[in-house]
Amino acid sequence: MTEQPTPAGATPPIRIVVVDDHAIFRSGLKADLGAGIDVLGEAGTVEEAIAAVTALRPDVVLLDVHLPGGRGGGGREVIAGCAALLASTRFLALSVSDAAEDVVSVIRAGARGYVTKSISGEGITDAIRRVAGGDAVFSPRLAGFVLDAFGTAEVAVEDELDRLSARELEVMRLIARGYSYKEVAKELFISVKTVETHVSAVLRKLQLSSRHELTRWAADRRLL
Amino acid sequence: MAARLYRSSDRIIAGVCAGLAEHLGWNVGLVRAIMVASSFFFGAGIFLYAWFWVLVPVAGESPLGGAGTPSAAADAPSERRLKLFRPAAADGSGGPLPGAAGGGSGTGLGDAFGTGAAFGPGGPLAGRGGRRVALGVRELLAGAALLVAASLLLGNQFGLDLPLGTIIPLAVIGTGAVLAWMQLDETRRAGLLNVAGADKPWGVLRFIAGIALVVVGVLIIVAGSGSWELLAPAMLASLGVLAGVGLVLAPWALKFWRDLQQERAGRIREAERAEIGAHLHDSVLQTLALIQKRAGSPQDVTRLARAQERELREWIYQDAARSPGTLATAVKDVCAELEDLHGTAVEVVAVGDAVLTERSQPLVQATREAVLNAVRHAGTPVSVYLEARADAVEVFIKDRGPGFDTAAIAPDRLGIRESVVGRMARIGGSADIVSSASGTEVRLKLPADRNGPEKTGPEKANTEKANTEGTPQHD
Repeated sequence: MTEQPTPAGATPPIRIVVVDDHAIFRSGLKADLGAGIDVLGEAGTVEEAIAAVTALRPDVVLLDVHLPGGRGGGGREVIAGCAALLASTRFLALSVSDAAEDVVSVIRAGARGYVTKSISGEGITDAIRRVAGGDAVFSPRLAGFVLDAFGTAEVAVEDELDRLSARELEVMRLIARGYSYKEVAKELFISVKTVETHVSAVLRKLQLSSRHELTRWAADRRLL
Repeated sequence: MAARLYRSSDRIIAGVCAGLAEHLGWNVGLVRAIMVASSFFFGAGIFLYAWFWVLVPVAGESPLGGAGTPSAAADAPSERRLKLFRPAAADGSGGPLPGAAGGGSGTGLGDAFGTGAAFGPGGPLAGRGGRRVALGVRELLAGAALLVAASLLLGNQFGLDLPLGTIIPLAVIGTGAVLAWMQLDETRRAGLLNVAGADKPWGVLRFIAGIALVVVGVLIIVAGSGSWELLAPAMLASLGVLAGVGLVLAPWALKFWRDLQQERAGRIREAERAEIGAHLHDSVLQTLALIQKRAGSPQDVTRLARAQERELREWIYQDAARSPGTLATAVKDVCAELEDLHGTAVEVVAVGDAVLTERSQPLVQATREAVLNAVRHAGTPVSVYLEARADAVEVFIKDRGPGFDTAAIAPDRLGIRESVVGRMARIGGSADIVSSASGTEVRLKLPADRNGPEKTGPEKANTEKANTEGTPQHD
């Protein structure tokens, strides 16, 4: 993990691979990316993606959740296929899907973040930098999913992985409200670095929590 | 026009009489009485009944391949909107969806084969209501049969020469056949492919009992003409023949069955495809055409694309949470409406949900005003976050516009002062507006209703004032 989370220019470019089955979207995305990001390659299917990532060893993989090929597992399968590289290569999930199952399954497979495809060029560049720096990237919607899954109130659960701390709850809530990390830091009077720590902790919980039914709440969201 | 002739699900034996009554517009009891009475004329009623049983389809089943399906297909879509990414919907064989799609796939193959129709619909809905009624009547029927048997025996005793040697085996065969055929109707109803495990043993037992009775009857006839010594070899021979026929027919029947299954699956897929195609045509293609026409106006294009995206998402993911009459749905609806009106993206994230009550209705209205304000003045995408907890419901509306001085809101700016702050105060909630150069956030909070009825008239002004002064600090 580098010390500067949002550096500009001076550092070596971040090497990425773009995985998406729509060529138009790939080229549009490449055009949108800011300076300091070097696109090493592209892939359109699960097999191509695994091959490209293994060969090119990028810093970050921009990964569509829904991909043809493989055994139908999409982005999840790509991450599973590159499991050995997870220490050096980070995955940022990119999707048009709003379905909680899609998002959470790819996060649980090992993705470091999730953004929707409607994100701005500036937003995606920032997200890539963040993920490359070892941090997690949460869109408002993902934060909403997390809050929905873990509950918005502090409840007594034996396993520490199964609940969010008060601070993490606050951070998630602000992200769900559309705050940037910087704004969250300002609002809570903490440093951006601390916000990143909290978000990474939440990501870890989302990935490791024994709440295997994490995706189920979408179906039976309780009414108050 | 008379109703089509179907066998009714409100049945005693096979629903023939009830179906006939419905068809003719007569009383069921009358039809049944006539049927029973005519049975005494050389069994005419019985033959008529058997005839109808074999040839008339059960209600809900189409008599000729596809003849009944159009109507079924027509009213089905509203019920079963496709859930593309929910595989569970695909294997509900026998459920309403495959039933409607596969309608009449098997019937054309002849009812004599019996199982043919079992692949068809027959909907699991049929036949539950009538069953309870039938139970009692069935016992009566059994009693009547016993009575007839007893009187026959009695007649025999008094020297009436009845060919018992013929009547008994025939009766046994008849009972066996009725049993077996009744079973078939039942499986038709449930859809042979997914008879619930609980029903199965009983059904199989009935079927076997029916066959056994028929075999015994045939044997008695055979043995009656010969001697009882022949019984054992005759039984063996008939079993041998049955086994042989079964052996020959089994692979053929299996293949037949598989083909039918395949065809049925194909039909379902086709129906799904057709539905998807129809939907895409009505929605996406139309929007694309509109977008091409409006290519000159980026705002129109964005608006159309957003609206279409929303509609498509809703269709594909069919949010289980999206039930009418909940707060989240209401908020999403007003945001969608404003998005359409102004062409600015409004992203809604909802956590938890609550029933939309009279008390929370103003919250939705206040949210609408706040979003409207943001859309009008900020010109940037707007984030709406709704959190419904047990103790309170909170809504946050955030934009990244230039912001404004909250203290300097002109008194005549009804939008904010009255529609947002005032509205929230009246229902015992609060509204804060935090604005800076980097954006504005409106925070609405409605605590759970603990003190019974909401605050009313006279207090209005006070609460509003209290709220604008002592703005509760968030976080």
